[in-house]
Amino acid sequence: MKFEIDKATRDRLEMIRERGRAEARPIGLEADRLGRPIPVDDPYFAKLIERGEGRTRWSGPAPKEPKGGAGGPSQVTVMSLLFVEELAYWDRGVMVATPGVGLPEGNVLAMGTEEQKERFLGPFREPDRPRWACFAMTEPGAGSDAAAIQTSARRDGEGWVLNGAKCFIGNASRSDWILVQATLDPSKGRAAQRAFFVEQGTPGLGGFRIEKKMGLKAYESTSFTLQDCRIPASNLLGGEERYEKPSGFKSAMRVFNAGRPIVAANAVGIGRAALDEAREFAREHGLLGDARTRDRLERAARKLKMARLLCLRAGWLADRQKPNIVEASMSKAVAAEIGQEVTSLGMELLGTVGARGDHLIEKLYRDVKAMDLVEGTGQIQRVIMARKLVGLPRD
Amino acid sequence: MFDFEAGDDLDLIVETAKSFAQEELLPRLREHEAARSVDPAIRATFGEMGLAGLELPESLGGAGLGALARVLVNEELAAGDPGAALALDPLGPALYALAELGGEEALRTFALPLLDLDGARALLVCDADADLEIGEEVSGRVPWVPSDRADLLVITRGDEALVVRDGIQGSELRGSGLRAAGASELVLDAAPVLARYCDPQAAGRARARARLYTAALLVGTMRQAASASLEYALDREAFGRPIAHHQGLSFLITDMRAAVDGARLLLHEAAWRVDQGIACEAAAATAFAEAVEASTLVGPNGVQILGGHGFMQDYPLEKHMRECRALGLVQGGIDAAREDAGQALCAAPSPFPLSHVEGAG
Repeated sequence: MKFEIDKATRDRLEMIRERGRAEARPIGLEADRLGRPIPVDDPYFAKLIERGEGRTRWSGPAPKEPKGGAGGPSQVTVMSLLFVEELAYWDRGVMVATPGVGLPEGNVLAMGTEEQKERFLGPFREPDRPRWACFAMTEPGAGSDAAAIQTSARRDGEGWVLNGAKCFIGNASRSDWILVQATLDPSKGRAAQRAFFVEQGTPGLGGFRIEKKMGLKAYESTSFTLQDCRIPASNLLGGEERYEKPSGFKSAMRVFNAGRPIVAANAVGIGRAALDEAREFAREHGLLGDARTRDRLERAARKLKMARLLCLRAGWLADRQKPNIVEASMSKAVAAEIGQEVTSLGMELLGTVGARGDHLIEKLYRDVKAMDLVEGTGQIQRVIMARKLVGLPRD
Repeated sequence: MFDFEAGDDLDLIVETAKSFAQEELLPRLREHEAARSVDPAIRATFGEMGLAGLELPESLGGAGLGALARVLVNEELAAGDPGAALALDPLGPALYALAELGGEEALRTFALPLLDLDGARALLVCDADADLEIGEEVSGRVPWVPSDRADLLVITRGDEALVVRDGIQGSELRGSGLRAAGASELVLDAAPVLARYCDPQAAGRARARARLYTAALLVGTMRQAASASLEYALDREAFGRPIAHHQGLSFLITDMRAAVDGARLLLHEAAWRVDQGIACEAAAATAFAEAVEASTLVGPNGVQILGGHGFMQDYPLEKHMRECRALGLVQGGIDAAREDAGQALCAAPSPFPLSHVEGAG
């Protein structure tokens, strides 16, 4: 067993910490105060691009280096968990707003054809300007129950025609392209689902509406519609051949399994920020000598550490390509609850200062709630775990 | 970076402990509980396995393994029977105060002789758990120890450890849990102090290791409670289906699993710290506190899942519940652990070093 962070990773975390303090947090607080997403042309985004952020992990069309070997198993997920936790510590909203391929990158890397990688990830290799992409699964009538989506894809000559509505999609109106999950036949559930690249400006893609949220205001969560939106056949993720076997839904779920610990790590990061702030507030107000306060801070720190280890274990399993359904859901169910508990504790220590609405902890209290909602609510995580642990029936 | 597997060498030891616990201890848990001791033949088998000297230095004939080995083995033994696990370990957590504060000399003088004495028990008593007057001699009362004999008493108080052997009068108690190890009240009447050690740093490590020893027994006990009640919930039917398939109950089962896993990870991380020789006191206090808190969820809910059957002694769940509670009371209990971890937290710089809450060294 081993529980250590190597020097290179620690240095990178320190860099995130410095930049988080100097940039992400002030920008996130400002977006929260103004109640709007960071504008597309904000100089902050341009600065990120200038210093090489917002790029794809895709290394280009060159032949891949052999996997495994001296380097041992992949550490991609575990590293992501560490970085994401630290980014969320400073501002989770700003983190999501950061330019880049974002959520669909994993899907495209895992399932995309070489031509699709070149076409859709290529512009993110050395982006000339801040660029975004996004993944659109959630619909007004289908959240955690991803098998129930209604957005339809109909084959029409050489292309596809999409119809439907998506909601709460991060960065959608500013994305170069949206990876849209749609169904060939809603009555056939998962097996009939496919993902399609829909480029911004495609006729029929529209009705963008930026939602007003309780927190995480720095990035846009957007609803949009697809009305007879025609796209070329080559925009089907993975190409036609891939779907000769019914594996469409499973691929989407594979991504989700790495996604849950990531959301959980977000909650740990936000919770840690609240704990730090609460502890400082308690120190400044002479409350650390109070055993009850100490006890409550101790519990918060203990639960955060536990949640963090649960995340890392789930990520570690994912990196080894070992089944982690129970562990991934567990990390998310636990971490999201703890994040809420810790921010709520922070509010209690602040007392009426928290009620003013201008303290960082008050923002964190609103922000963290989403971590128990996205990628499946805490209740859905328990359903997923129960299916595995006790074979809870689906109906 | 991170590795959540024990590794081949430890796996082998853990497997040995596991088969022993599942084949020898678990089937006889009521028998051992009633007898207040472990069957001599099973004791002999255990002796041959060499697990008693797991953490003793090789120079003293032990296996020279560390805290991680101990917590993994204790988990398995406790999944069989935590009382038996205590009964089978002649040194128990008393080892740590002797080893950390007194070093090899103390081990040679006080610990080794016990290894040759059948059924001998060294006991660790934290002064918070007793009512003792400590001077040149020790007098007073220890309300409960999980043993019917006290061949050696190691008393810890702050940065100090004292060794007492004579002048101890024991009287048997029924005991709330852990009866396979016995249960007594001890009265000390001017018991001579044979050795007295004082070292703040060593005392901190000894406290950490003792907490992990018990936390591992807790994790093993609640793991067993969670799996036994899950098995029952799959078998028992109500309203036309296994009770585990009622969502309300299935959520309880998932929450119990999460509680066990979370406590277990904190335990392993803290034990890893001990073995690395890095700061481990707060991590061990945290692991102990979480194990106790989780056990108060898992123990009683193991009974809950079985309904009325859980209350009856035909099933072991009521035993798991009592033993979870009893284990959580030693070494100052959860309050002392929370206070130690809380003090460390309040003293840490701000913002936390990246290694702090995260628990990564």
